[in-house]
Amino acid sequence: MATAVVTLSGGSVVSVRLASEKGVAAAPRAEEGAEPKDMGPNPISPELKELAWGFGSFLVFLVIMRLFLVPKVRKGMAERYDGIRADLEGADAAKADARAEVAKYEAALVEVRAEVAKRVDAARVTLDSERGEAIAAANRRIAAKKAEAEAAAVAERAAARDQISAAVTSVTATATSIAVGKQADNSVVTQAVAQAMQSTGAR
Amino acid sequence: MIALEFPPINAILRWQDVAPSFNKIAIIAVLATIIGCTIFAMAARADARKAPRGARNLAETSVEFIENGVIMQTMGRDGLGWTPFLLTLFLFIYLCNVPGIIPFFQMPATARMAIPGALALMVWVVYNGAGIKHQGFGGYFKSVLFPPGVPKALYVLVTPIEFISAIIVRPFSLAVRLFANMLAGHILLVTFALLSESLFQAKDKILIPFGVLPMFMLIFLTGFEVLVAFLQAYIFTILTAVYIGGAVHPEH
Repeated sequence: MATAVVTLSGGSVVSVRLASEKGVAAAPRAEEGAEPKDMGPNPISPELKELAWGFGSFLVFLVIMRLFLVPKVRKGMAERYDGIRADLEGADAAKADARAEVAKYEAALVEVRAEVAKRVDAARVTLDSERGEAIAAANRRIAAKKAEAEAAAVAERAAARDQISAAVTSVTATATSIAVGKQADNSVVTQAVAQAMQSTGAR
Repeated sequence: MIALEFPPINAILRWQDVAPSFNKIAIIAVLATIIGCTIFAMAARADARKAPRGARNLAETSVEFIENGVIMQTMGRDGLGWTPFLLTLFLFIYLCNVPGIIPFFQMPATARMAIPGALALMVWVVYNGAGIKHQGFGGYFKSVLFPPGVPKALYVLVTPIEFISAIIVRPFSLAVRLFANMLAGHILLVTFALLSESLFQAKDKILIPFGVLPMFMLIFLTGFEVLVAFLQAYIFTILTAVYIGGAVHPEH
């Protein structure tokens, strides 16, 4: 039997050693002349029962794992991995489809924008021409109205002049007849008034 | 001076039978199979179309770990057919390692030579068998014993080395690496647990506070053993994949 011998000095551990029965020569038992005990079988040598149980257990474990359990677990793993792979591929396909849709949408957007720009330009051109036409028509109407107004003004002026001329002629004839005591020649008075008004108007 | 009784090595490694020829190592091995099968059975029953959760998540993560972290790194896509074998090997070793830090068990089944030895022997048969199947008996042993590119004069030296290395040493190194690492971890945990207990129960009261030091070491090593359990399972599995890959595709 091995014995650990701890040597103390002043309350602290100085050394610890393991000694076999033979090694503890100074121990009392050795002094008593006791024979070394049988250490038993070699501790390294395997025991048959342990060999049989250990190897048998391993073989059973191996057979069950090889034939049933590992293939089942592996199959489940493969199925799930296939599912994940299929999902990933589906996601990639959906992503590619979405990208194609986006590209298509953007192309359509460009087309629509070009069409809109074209239509806006055409509308602007139409609007400009229509506005020009409208302005020209309005100018024409204004010119016509102006001409009409000028003609009316000329007529009014002529009528006013005739009235003034008649009134001045009448007044002049009356004044002349009062001044000279006889009836003035109406045509001479009319001519004289016309000349006077013409020279006044010219001035 | 305190003296703690360290139990004989067989007392911390050899377990009494709980039933005829059925001890703690056998319990752990059987439980590893039951737990592994249960997790994968639950995973197989879960709806595979939904996002994996719980057992399904654990199972799928372990499958992907073996496929991406072991097979693709060592054998390439052609090696994916070995997934069930390597996955079972990894899970079984890991589930046999982990009980080393689980209360009540506190013993990795791989800290006994039986399971690492049996698994290493099986791996030896598998990679040699795979090599013979793919290259034929002569072709396989020719590729192993007479590696291409070596000057013919050197075959006198290289061939015996390759024979010892590939045919004899590999299974031993596989088994001993796993066994020794798990045994060392187990002994370390036992040592620090015993030391903590002895110091906490020391008659000299001044020693009692020193019990904290091995206890912290025990906690640290327990955490470390979680990593070791995983790492040793991974190393055993990836070396198996390398050996199989080398036997099936010697040009790699």
